[in-house]
Amino acid sequence: MENKKTDKGGSNRRNFLKLGFMSSVSAVAGASLLSNFSIQDEEVVESGEKLRLLTPDGKIVEVDATNVNKYPEAHITPEESRKGIPNRKFVMVIDLAKCKNARKCVEGCQKGHNLDYNEEFMKIQLLQDNPESSPYWLPKPCFHCDEPPCVTVCPTGATFKRDDGIVLIDSERCIGCKFCVTSCPYSARIFNWGAKAKFDDKSQPYSPETSLPASKGTVMKCDFCPDLLRQGKLPYCASSCPMGVIYFGDKNEDIVTNGTETVSFSKLIRERGGYRHLEHLGTKPNVYYLPAVNRQFPLDRGFDVAPDIIDRYKDVPYVQDLKNLGKI
Amino acid sequence: MNLENRKRELAIEFSPLLEKTTTVSKIWIATLVLIILVGLYAFIVQFTQGQIVTGMRDNAVWGIYTVNFIFFVCLSYSGAFISGILHFIHTPWKNSVSRMVEIITVLSLIIGPIYIILCMARLDRLLYLFMYPRIQSPITWDIIAVMTDLIGCFIYLFLTFIPDFAILRDNSENAPKWRQKMYKYFAIGYQDTPKQRIKLHKITRTMSAMIIAMAIIAYSVLAWVFSLTLQPGWDSSIFGPYFIVAGLYTGIAVIIIVMYLIRKYYHLESYIRKVHFSGAGIILLVLSLLYGYFTFSEYFTRWFSHKLYDTNLLNTLFTRYFWMFVFANYIGVLVPIVILFFNKLRNIKSITFAAVIAIVGLWFNRYLIVIPTLETPYIPIQDTREEFIHYTATWVEWSLSLAGVAAFILFFILLMKLVPIIPMSGIIDHERGQAKRKKSIK
Amino acid sequence: MKSIKYKYILITSLIIAFFFNFNGFSQELDASNYKMRLSLSTFKQNDNSRMLEVSFIGQNKEDRKDKLPVFDAEIKFYNEDNLLGTAKTSKEGIAQFTIPEGQNYITDEDGFINLIAKFEGSDGLDEEDDDIQIKDLFLELNLKEIDSVKTVLVRAFTKDSTGVETPLEGVNVIISIGGMLSKMKLEEVIIEDGEFEYVFPTDLPGDVNGEIIVYSTIQDNDDFGNVVKNESVNWGVFKNNNLIEHNQLWSEAGPLWMYIVLTILLLGVWANYLYTVIYLFKIKKEGKEIDREQVELNTEL
Repeated sequence: MENKKTDKGGSNRRNFLKLGFMSSVSAVAGASLLSNFSIQDEEVVESGEKLRLLTPDGKIVEVDATNVNKYPEAHITPEESRKGIPNRKFVMVIDLAKCKNARKCVEGCQKGHNLDYNEEFMKIQLLQDNPESSPYWLPKPCFHCDEPPCVTVCPTGATFKRDDGIVLIDSERCIGCKFCVTSCPYSARIFNWGAKAKFDDKSQPYSPETSLPASKGTVMKCDFCPDLLRQGKLPYCASSCPMGVIYFGDKNEDIVTNGTETVSFSKLIRERGGYRHLEHLGTKPNVYYLPAVNRQFPLDRGFDVAPDIIDRYKDVPYVQDLKNLGKI
Repeated sequence: MNLENRKRELAIEFSPLLEKTTTVSKIWIATLVLIILVGLYAFIVQFTQGQIVTGMRDNAVWGIYTVNFIFFVCLSYSGAFISGILHFIHTPWKNSVSRMVEIITVLSLIIGPIYIILCMARLDRLLYLFMYPRIQSPITWDIIAVMTDLIGCFIYLFLTFIPDFAILRDNSENAPKWRQKMYKYFAIGYQDTPKQRIKLHKITRTMSAMIIAMAIIAYSVLAWVFSLTLQPGWDSSIFGPYFIVAGLYTGIAVIIIVMYLIRKYYHLESYIRKVHFSGAGIILLVLSLLYGYFTFSEYFTRWFSHKLYDTNLLNTLFTRYFWMFVFANYIGVLVPIVILFFNKLRNIKSITFAAVIAIVGLWFNRYLIVIPTLETPYIPIQDTREEFIHYTATWVEWSLSLAGVAAFILFFILLMKLVPIIPMSGIIDHERGQAKRKKSIK
Repeated sequence: MKSIKYKYILITSLIIAFFFNFNGFSQELDASNYKMRLSLSTFKQNDNSRMLEVSFIGQNKEDRKDKLPVFDAEIKFYNEDNLLGTAKTSKEGIAQFTIPEGQNYITDEDGFINLIAKFEGSDGLDEEDDDIQIKDLFLELNLKEIDSVKTVLVRAFTKDSTGVETPLEGVNVIISIGGMLSKMKLEEVIIEDGEFEYVFPTDLPGDVNGEIIVYSTIQDNDDFGNVVKNESVNWGVFKNNNLIEHNQLWSEAGPLWMYIVLTILLLGVWANYLYTVIYLFKIKKEGKEIDREQVELNTEL
């Protein structure tokens, strides 16, 4: 009898210990699993404003980057932004022979202007001029035309052309009539349809030169980053491109640069056959394209992107052929 | 004929229309108010959440609000042009329709701009249109033109009310006190003396000429909002005249519909007779031929020269919008022509039917002008989100459209309670004219 | 039996997950995965001062693109054993220290200056150092118009301890001009005999006053580091491309004729409205008079 009791007691104790051990292990494992997930969440979140640094003691810390674009101390008010940077005439040259749809320009611009995933100031189009030629990737910012149809039709003067050639939007004056969106033949403008949390960001005062913070019910577009230009830096797209596709500079001093190469603007256009898109419309754009000849990369390299981005080009015959062949 | 007695007769005849409201009428008004309230709710949703609740997205940034705006300003052509012209042509039957035509004009000029205001995303900044106007912008011209047109039509409408208010003021002892006060106030002391009559006729005549001019300017400016841009489908030189002809077409069609409804529900068969419908029907026939001609020129030119961007646009029209295109440009034009061409087919009901087809076809035609162009820009839309590639209106937009129509009908009914829909002073003028002619024949 | 098997599997998998976790944690906190790199370079600037620049960055051993800059680390700069000064690294891991012109450097027998940058080391990081040996190079830039031809004259030489100049051979010098965002290279030459003459192009616009800054640069030379000399000269032919247009469709004030036409139209229309309203008032006045007469008549009767 007693044996049985102790036996039972022994097995009970064993069971109890086993149970306790298991539950503690699972509790700790569960807790650390949960915290692992939460850390993973943090890693997944876009940390555009956080810098990872090593302290001298060898510890890794994350600090807030100071103001994302380090805007100069003299804040340019909407009034002042109507006058341009004196004696400049900004111009951009995009070398289609080197573009392989890396989309770093799109992402750099989105980061610099605090844009969401589908809001793109710089759009990459896949165009094919005629059925015999090869399609090519066309990065398309706002062209900052010299005779802009968007400025002509704005009823309140919310969009304006400055002396340095840049066309800006003052979203404190925009009434959201979208006439400029309909009149731009290059579809360069996008609209803020609803309210978003990022519109309430008061960390820096609004300036048309930064296009931050945006506001609900107003239009926005590529602004050639005048805030960076005032600091002597290239716009986000030009500095983000790994292939050096985007050259930017001042037509008055006849120099454009892509960050690594600096060349004479007039020489570049003359020798490489630079052209402007839809020239016959008479808008006189300030973005020149160098034709996609002697391409640095085969076209197919450009399809190494997310499927939803490839899906955008589903109407291009070349893409349909590739899909039929099962290559993408 | 004793003037005073005749006036009294007319007042007695028309007062019941003004003062009594039948049950059916009350139910109607309640339904319309309900629809308007739903529209108001939709407006609040849009105002608080932004235009994301509509179907408009980055490429088709103008949707059925703009379509409704153009459509209602189209309706305003009924009064502005036709009544203006009728004023100059002394036809015997013009009197019965002139007031309802003018009321249509004023109401559509009030409701139309509401839609274009709804199309603006920042209603809190509407004043900027007046504080910082840019004269180069077609929208600035549009605002000035539509406002001026509205004020002109309103003044003209009021001018035609004055003699009737005078008759009512003198002959409504049995009416409620507030009505008597209202008649006295609005009649501004008009006693129908010869001097006053001459003055009133003079200014009415100048105003009617002015209205014709304003109508042409206002609708041309509206057409230029589209045709002064570079977009394929809008970049057309005939948009101004095309819109004016379309306006006339809509105008006469809506007059026919209103005549039919009023004749039927207010039992005014003696005043709105078959001759009115025949006359209006003939005008509708002529205008539908003109309108068909303009539409055909527009699309034929684009098809024939097969420029790349025009071809893209026409492809969209013939594939995605095929049935709408057929209805708007074939059925909407040919059915009225067929019905109105043959004498045998012309009766009141069929003419009204033709008018209904014409108006619905015209709304679709305006839709086909605004939206397919926005969906086929020069640089192809390369996007994955369906709402950014094709435009579909949401419940907010539809309920606000219906609310606008309901508001139109409601205000019409309410105005009919204010003033008799058949101008009494016109009847008297007409009879006086007839008597004079009889005398001269004798 | 089956339930016991499942139980054991569950326990083992939980324990494994637990351990993976610890790895995750440790990856976050210390730099053991990173190899530290300290590199020193020297820039002789236009005012003859010498800037020493140190880049102190950790590179992930597995993912070479993952770089962690060291922030706020104190770097000591030495010339042989002579402490020149200290500087702290920025958020990009760069520390800069400028030595003014007249510094007497300790040189070795070949005339090379030995410069050392050292990070003392800490609890988490080991001591790191880097050194370079360079000779002091003197670069002279002269911009002269010789026989109405704009020429750039570059001279490069080293000085020995007695001040005797030795001209330079076989060194690449880049001649460039300054732009708003970067410098544009005009010519890259190899200096022979310590001198070089370059004909300046005549089609450069320069800035708004025609001023151009001309740079002569030696870049990343093993013996001399980086040396730059610049000079401003008014050889630009500025062409103003900014045609400031007034009264265009896209400018702030519109074309004049639009204002005129609009005013005429509006005046015409609103004058008519005013005329109408005035006549309405006249009618009203007349009506009042008639009323008054009626009342008088009635009272008379």
